[in-house]
Amino acid sequence: MTDTLNIRDLTLDFKGHSGTARVLHGISLRIGRGERVALVGESGSGKSVTARIVLGLLQELRGVRVGGTVEFDGRDLASLTRRQRAALRGTAMSMIFQDPTSSLNPVYPIGTQFTEVLRRGEPGISERDAALRAATLLNDVSIRDSGRVLGSYPFQLSGGMNQRVMIAMALANEPALLIADEPGTALDVTVQAQTLGLMRDMVAAHQTSVLFISHNLGVVREFADRIYVIYKGRIVESGTTRAVFDAPGHAYTRALMAAVPRLTGGGIPEIDDASADFLAPAVLHAEAAP
Amino acid sequence: MTAILRVLLRRLVTSLIVLIGVSMLIFAIARIIPGNPARIALGPNATAEQIERLSAALHLDAPIWVQYGYFLRDLSRGDLGISLYTNRPVTADIAQFLPATLELVLVAGVMMVAIGLPLGVLSARYRGGAIDNAIRVFSLLTVSAPGFVWAVILMLVFAFFVPIFPIAGRISDSYSIPAVTGFLAIDTLLAGDLRAFGNAAWHIVLPALALALSGIGQAARLTRANMIETYDRPYIEMARSYGFPEGRIARRYALRPSLIPAMTIIGLDFASMLGNAFLVEAIFAWPGLSRYGVAVILRKDLNAIVGTVLIISAAFLIVNVIVDLLVAVINPRIRYSQRSA
Repeated sequence: MTDTLNIRDLTLDFKGHSGTARVLHGISLRIGRGERVALVGESGSGKSVTARIVLGLLQELRGVRVGGTVEFDGRDLASLTRRQRAALRGTAMSMIFQDPTSSLNPVYPIGTQFTEVLRRGEPGISERDAALRAATLLNDVSIRDSGRVLGSYPFQLSGGMNQRVMIAMALANEPALLIADEPGTALDVTVQAQTLGLMRDMVAAHQTSVLFISHNLGVVREFADRIYVIYKGRIVESGTTRAVFDAPGHAYTRALMAAVPRLTGGGIPEIDDASADFLAPAVLHAEAAP
Repeated sequence: MTAILRVLLRRLVTSLIVLIGVSMLIFAIARIIPGNPARIALGPNATAEQIERLSAALHLDAPIWVQYGYFLRDLSRGDLGISLYTNRPVTADIAQFLPATLELVLVAGVMMVAIGLPLGVLSARYRGGAIDNAIRVFSLLTVSAPGFVWAVILMLVFAFFVPIFPIAGRISDSYSIPAVTGFLAIDTLLAGDLRAFGNAAWHIVLPALALALSGIGQAARLTRANMIETYDRPYIEMARSYGFPEGRIARRYALRPSLIPAMTIIGLDFASMLGNAFLVEAIFAWPGLSRYGVAVILRKDLNAIVGTVLIISAAFLIVNVIVDLLVAVINPRIRYSQRSA
């Protein structure tokens, strides 16, 4: 079976006034069907740009050069036209963003936005059918009073509620791939945990592949089957969640793990911004048999 | 929609207070300017006795607050007094001249929005490209010169060197349209004369465009700036992640949030056209309120000055109320915050 996503030697350069800056130095990553894969790293490591390349958003910008291959469902994205790439978005792949409340349009009610998302998958769907579908989908993310939510504007709902709406929208057209970019980081911890659990159940039920982007190892451990650790545009370690957590092989991974605050105290150790060890070759754990 | 009604009511009350303030101010200012209106009205050959009699009839010998009291009493009956310049009731003069000005300003306002907004949207969408640069140069050019300069330029180019449009007036003399509303667009249609309608429409193009040009540039610049800010918002990236076409994102997802801040200023620009119309009307011999206004100021025709200023202020306030309502319509936050306030 072809992988949902197969990235090989992906490079990214931004051309600026003062020359070209390389952001991704050839990263490789694959996500099998129904697999939940996390891409973990600090701010600026290249996680989010990777997601935006997969969506085909970054390629639209001027001064951006993308190298290597990104295969989605066996199709090389570079071989697709701009229009074909856009056709995949919102249908075959969708994305969940960091801050749900500011990611929903402030001047339209949820129902209107939901209808438009549903029309991406089924252009001819009537207003009424869309409302019914939306209500069912909201029900799936444990929103009982869907009528009120659909008639509300994002600013009238809580962050957790908006997050559920975003999850329901992202999965509305049964995408093959869901990209979650630091989902719920803007929410408080309990709400974040709740919505993540919900998302986990949803993708399991729909057999959706997930690219989960995060800097939070605790969350990743709960959510992902496999992990890629990224540092300064390079993958430094990859393997099953268990293998990476049991035996972190790379210095950077160990530093990242040590940076998670613990209830037992002891504080957070000092980590150098950069260390020669962090640039050591990648540690690739053996992949578990599928 | 009750929230909208609440916004309307609130704004109408404040507008009324502003209008009373304006009436006091203009009432006082008109009387502080030196020169006896009675003497100016009666001419150089009037006797002292005649002047005294007219002054008494106009209550000019009474203290100013007493005069204001008379003014309010008459106003409550819809009476703005007699113009010393035309010897007719001021209300009749305004009824005659105001429609021409309103027609001009309305057409200019429509031009400002119908041309300025799309230019701003295009500019923001193709930011940094050739279209954007062209629109920015155009906007800067139009904003930097006032309406009367454009009036002269447009008249020279499109009515004199290349005579596409008529050089002056509201309608050709060959048409005689009975005045019902005073708005030629309506009166010609009431008379069932489509050719006259076309002729009047042809006449209004240049003066309206001259009046609108700075506004068009201003609207384009504002829309562009706000759109560019909106483009950085997460909800635009979200719309892109759902694969909506760029044109749709611009028109539907980015424009409306951007209009919220732009609208208020565009509304003020629109309202200020009433004042800017003075010089444009003078250049195109447009028989509007502005020409009347200039004439009565020069003759210190107190009743007419106060009446004209009041009407223009009222129109300004009405436009503002309409703009506030529109902002409330496009911005749900305003609509819902009024409920709890």
